[in-house]
Amino acid sequence: MKSATWLLLSVLWLSCTTESRPRPPATLFVSVEMHSAWVRNFNPLFAGAGSRWPTRAGVYECMEIYTPSTGKWVPWLATGHTWSEDRRTLRFTLREGVRWSDGRPFHAEDVAFTFQLMKRHAALDGGGIWRFIEDVRAEDSHTVAFHFSRVYIPGFAELAHQPIVPRHVWEKVADPVTFTNPEPVATGPFTEVRVFRNQVYELGKNPHYWQPGKPAVDALRFLAFPTNDQANLALVEGDVDWAGNFVPAVDRTFVSKDPEHHARWFPLFGSTVFLYPNTKRAPFDDVRVRKALSMGVDRERLVDIAMYGYTRPADSTALNDSYTRWRDEEAANGTWVRHDVKEAARLLDEAGLKPGPDGLRRGPDGLPLKLDIEVVGGWSDWVRAGQVLARDLRKLGLDAHLKTYEFGAWQARLQKGEFQLSIAWSLDGPTPYTFYKWLISSHTVRPLGEVAASNWHRFGDPEADALLTRFETEVSPEEQKALMAAVQRRFSELAPAIPLFPNPSWGESNSKRFTGFPTAQNPYARLSPHAEPDSLLVLTELAPRKP
Amino acid sequence: MRYVLRRLGFYLLAAWASLTLNFVIPRLAPGDPASAMFARFEGRIQPEAMAAMRAAFGFTEAPLHVQYVTYLRHLFAGDLGLSYAYYPSRVSEVIGTGLIWTVGLAGCAVVFSFALGSMLGVLAAWNRGGWLDTVVAPALAFLGAFPYFWLAMLALYLFGFGLGWFPLRHAYSHDLEPALSFAFATDVARHAVLPAASIVVATMGGWMLSMRNTMVATLGTDTLRLAHAKGLPPRQVMLRYAARNALLPNVTGFGMALGFVLSGSLLTEIVFSYPGTGYLLILAVRNQDYPLMQGLFLVITLAVLAANFAVDLLCLWLDPRTRAHA
Repeated sequence: MKSATWLLLSVLWLSCTTESRPRPPATLFVSVEMHSAWVRNFNPLFAGAGSRWPTRAGVYECMEIYTPSTGKWVPWLATGHTWSEDRRTLRFTLREGVRWSDGRPFHAEDVAFTFQLMKRHAALDGGGIWRFIEDVRAEDSHTVAFHFSRVYIPGFAELAHQPIVPRHVWEKVADPVTFTNPEPVATGPFTEVRVFRNQVYELGKNPHYWQPGKPAVDALRFLAFPTNDQANLALVEGDVDWAGNFVPAVDRTFVSKDPEHHARWFPLFGSTVFLYPNTKRAPFDDVRVRKALSMGVDRERLVDIAMYGYTRPADSTALNDSYTRWRDEEAANGTWVRHDVKEAARLLDEAGLKPGPDGLRRGPDGLPLKLDIEVVGGWSDWVRAGQVLARDLRKLGLDAHLKTYEFGAWQARLQKGEFQLSIAWSLDGPTPYTFYKWLISSHTVRPLGEVAASNWHRFGDPEADALLTRFETEVSPEEQKALMAAVQRRFSELAPAIPLFPNPSWGESNSKRFTGFPTAQNPYARLSPHAEPDSLLVLTELAPRKP
Repeated sequence: MRYVLRRLGFYLLAAWASLTLNFVIPRLAPGDPASAMFARFEGRIQPEAMAAMRAAFGFTEAPLHVQYVTYLRHLFAGDLGLSYAYYPSRVSEVIGTGLIWTVGLAGCAVVFSFALGSMLGVLAAWNRGGWLDTVVAPALAFLGAFPYFWLAMLALYLFGFGLGWFPLRHAYSHDLEPALSFAFATDVARHAVLPAASIVVATMGGWMLSMRNTMVATLGTDTLRLAHAKGLPPRQVMLRYAARNALLPNVTGFGMALGFVLSGSLLTEIVFSYPGTGYLLILAVRNQDYPLMQGLFLVITLAVLAANFAVDLLCLWLDPRTRAHA
């Protein structure tokens, strides 16, 4: 008994006196993924995989990088591209002097091989590129040509953003889908797995990197944090240099702790959050009802309460700030996203949903309308948003209630169209094409009961289809803009879904040890490490602070 | 011996039943893993990928009984398949990342809590009305009644964040190479103090109270009176006569507690970022990762059964009556 006590005390004493060692000056501590333990996986090809960050943009690289913060394409493994006259062939010119991390030269054959691999293994073709290309060929060591099966300009982004793998390694891989690629050979700035343990991994810089003198950072280190709370604690304590976490009251809890070095930049480049009405079900098939629901919502209060004021109310184009140059003023001025309870009530009356003696609005069957707003139980921002929404809708005489589900159940109901109203995100791309395709194109409408990847509200408009189809073949920027403006006006007129607010892209930096983080004044990329592939620009731009 | 064989047979049957439930229950859940995984990306990957993911995961439309046979066959071959949430990593590899830490931390904590709690219970009953009995026992029961999460957070905040005595997270310092060295061992111990202590504090009261109560009952029996009358040393009476008899219910409870080590340390792992298997279980459920779920359940089930079998044998040794009936 006595010796046990003594042992315990000595362990405690040792525990308290162990000194913590200083951190290596050129090692960048990053917090991106939430995990309790790391699993070794550096497969860049299978998009659904839990591959470790930054496998897809940092270990491996793509040909060109789109930066939503500037609206520009940055040449990367390719120095440029040209379309053929008939827009059926796209040629990329590849950069000279690029080498793989094992020293072998980067070749156009590597690019062609990567895309052929995606043809042989459909699971790797996350962007569905083999639905619009016919063939890909290396024409010489630095030219690769894609032959399209139809004119499809938006396909460029999918091709340009594809991580490229070395042929000489991957041709020996039996099944590239289930290959965990423990020792990556790649062109990116960080390719050497120096440490891999369950609670930490470290990637060292690529000795053969093609940008001379870069990366200035020697290594990236990732500690496992199972929850946001733990990651935020580490960020506030200065244990993390770069993070992409949601931090509540960030200015007070993080920035004010060291205003000189602690910074956050939450630009509204994230996907727009919608209240989706199931338009295949009454009364949401009536545009007046959808607009009335939208007008009943006090979005100013909603963003204050649900999002800590980090964002703004959505306008009637629903576009986030990365599409500012596409925004059409006329479409953005739609009144149906403004808070106007009187007009909302008038629209509901007009749609035949009149209040009964108890004040509750009734459907055509004479029964009070019961509306369920579905959200995921643990997602506190959306739960708060749903509570505000339900209260606002009750003021219109609608018997609205928030219903929370476990994530799996929620998304199954959403994807199969088994809901009335549901809060969910939307899809983005370099142009608003993808965004609107999944909001309003009838080609993306699936029958009720069938799983839909998006367009959960199941709304299609033939006129918008025609505009989007013309957009697919249009290369002139002016024409593209005009077509997209017409799509926006269509969206604003039909209100297929109710936009609430654009999501911020969460990014925090601690410049005590490193410089070069993007900011609102120097927006060369988004600050969020989640923002692939432009996060690659940040990785090559950061440098340790001179002592 | 026949008794032991009969118990063994029972455990085999129980193992089969739980394996079967293990197969059935996840398949009753709504949704499917590919769409769950797709949804996790919140629009950051193109919808076209969904069909591709289904293909990659090899979702079979095979009838349930065929899937069941495949499941059992793979299980006996030790092949737990590929995890969906950590695709394409093997389930065995994923579970391997945390198993040793969970077993180490929670296992030691449970053993420690049981040993210390039972010992205090014996002493409390022996000196009935003493300070152990009137102060420590109710205080521990009080602490045990707190929600564990809150207790752990409080410990982390006070001793980790506030006083800075202990590290805030992980099982060892991230800049330390795991090795069989004194430095590494003390580092691990230092990281384990807060999480282990929080488990011990939260559970010790239960062991102490149940031990005390059984012990009090045992002390009143004729056997004990006889032992006293024979003039045996009090220490021997307390430990060999009273405690040994009173230990039985606690030993049974201990078997159960050991089995729940693997799943039960989930909250500890979340609060202290301890790299264990508890968190994997939540992740597996959230992502409808059947192979990982089944792998974890398998490990937990076998652990519970093994622990109970061990406890059966222990009871056999502690209590001659079980032998008489066998």
